[in-house]
Amino acid sequence: MRERMTGAASFGGATRPPRTSKLQSIREGYGFLMPWLAGLLGLTLGPALFSLYLSFTKYDLVSDPKWIGMGNYVRIFSTDPKFWIAMKVTFTYVFLSVPLKLGFALAIAMMLNKGLRGLPIYRALFYLPSLLGGSVAIAILWRQVFSSGGLFNQVLAMLGIKGMGWVSTPETALYTLVLLTVWQFGSSMIIFLAGLRQIPADMYEAASIDGASPRRQFFRITLPLLTPVIFFNAIVQTIDAFKAFNSAFIISDGTGGPVNATLFYTLYLFQEAFSFFRMGYAAALAWVLVMIIGCITAISFFMSRYWVHYDE
Amino acid sequence: MSDTAPDMLPGMQRSRWSGVRKHTFLCCVSLVMLYPLLWMVAASLKPSTEILNTASIIPSHVDFSSYRRGWFGLDVSFGTFFLNSLIVSVLSVIGNVMTCSLTAFAFARLHFPGRNLCFAIMLGTLMLPYHVVLIPQYILFLNLGWIDTFLPLVVPKFMATDAFFIFLMVQFFRGIPRELDEAARLDGCSAWRIYYKIMLPLSIPVLATAAIFSFIFTWDDFFAPLIYLGDPGNYTSQVALRSFIDSSNQSDWGGLFAMSSLALVPVFIFFVFFQRLLIEGIATTGMKR
Repeated sequence: MRERMTGAASFGGATRPPRTSKLQSIREGYGFLMPWLAGLLGLTLGPALFSLYLSFTKYDLVSDPKWIGMGNYVRIFSTDPKFWIAMKVTFTYVFLSVPLKLGFALAIAMMLNKGLRGLPIYRALFYLPSLLGGSVAIAILWRQVFSSGGLFNQVLAMLGIKGMGWVSTPETALYTLVLLTVWQFGSSMIIFLAGLRQIPADMYEAASIDGASPRRQFFRITLPLLTPVIFFNAIVQTIDAFKAFNSAFIISDGTGGPVNATLFYTLYLFQEAFSFFRMGYAAALAWVLVMIIGCITAISFFMSRYWVHYDE
Repeated sequence: MSDTAPDMLPGMQRSRWSGVRKHTFLCCVSLVMLYPLLWMVAASLKPSTEILNTASIIPSHVDFSSYRRGWFGLDVSFGTFFLNSLIVSVLSVIGNVMTCSLTAFAFARLHFPGRNLCFAIMLGTLMLPYHVVLIPQYILFLNLGWIDTFLPLVVPKFMATDAFFIFLMVQFFRGIPRELDEAARLDGCSAWRIYYKIMLPLSIPVLATAAIFSFIFTWDDFFAPLIYLGDPGNYTSQVALRSFIDSSNQSDWGGLFAMSSLALVPVFIFFVFFQRLLIEGIATTGMKR
């Protein structure tokens, strides 16, 4: 990893005088970039601009887009109760699942880090759900596990507790999805393990000679030195959580139910676009999502100054 | 990065008892986590009367009838769905590895005006949610007559749209000594030959990592096939599983679990054989899965 870091550092620096003519270097460079440039213009930038245009129109795929100015955005923020439901569901999901997932990942990584035997085995076992978790198969499994006759209730019954239909009850359905996300903490754990390994061992040595308790070592050494990794993980997981779709779609049969309890933002967007063919409105929803994710990322970076420590 | 754990430090030394406690705890956690998975695979092997109403994972006898029922549970057999998934995934792997490595090579090794700008744009597209381009892409593919074919799922992969893999490869290419291609340049090698004869052979680990992740992501992809595929004969396994829930009306859990378990097999195989690559890929780049 360290080698790669220095490789990255030399990027842009220490460039030697070009041995080829300028024209040739342009031909070469853009020759290699050709597929990417075609994709960038044709599948990313072009469509992004077009969707920005569509967001100001009414468009149902059949008749031509009709310009309605800010109409879609006004409706989103003022007269669309479902948008606010989707916002509430999504924010609850994101701000519950991400901290829980990272907390769990860090706790397990700490346990595995301290010279524990069998580390590779544990690491593999904990990583497996994270690798499989994106599959529809797992969402189906989850739907059965938390249904009224499901595995979870069987286990509860053995303990003498009467269960309920966790996915069919509006109050609990979202929490089963949170649990499904937390269950996939493995990849975050691996990133934490890599981060923990970068902390120089002599720091702990010095600290314990000075009589610092393990607790104090954690809060004074481990946690501060790990903040860049925590920050990185938090950003990636948060953005990803905002885009969650599969689990809610499978568990609710694409409805976002029961009673909109699992109406993730992306699910609502999908319904508007592909069930009701309100393409202009869905495009506006997509841009609102971009703005939400952009704002949260910007705020996170701003706040990071106060708690993330980078090596000088 | 080595796999060996750091030596025990004086301050961290614990009694043997606390080690036992820790192992007990970790074993319990992993058992609770993996139990649902084990239970699903076990359920798919049980006689269908035994599936519900028990939390046990031990079948009275192993019975493959769920697999037969599930395989033919829809109008089109699951053989077709798995084959479709395989075609889409393999083509995506080829597209991603080819075009992302070309792009990454240009970013990591060539000097040309506008390179840094392009690189910044590429990083920017990493942050852009897919949903923004979703509708225009749909309209584009609709007008091209590509709906209900594999083209919308595969063609973008041949245009290096998965910026993540570009990033992964750039990181790796930069670690390869520059002297190698400079020497080759002096000998009159073209950029193409350097890419083909020097970079690619030295980059097998990162190409393999990208290929495996690319396969897994495509295999598990649900959103794009859901939107673009309409005819059941074109379904990938993930979309087929979804329509299985609808059609069987939740009565045939055995068949559903059998097909779900089969859909997890390819990913599981990669996990078993290439775990090290996967874990290193995540640790060095911070991938989300």
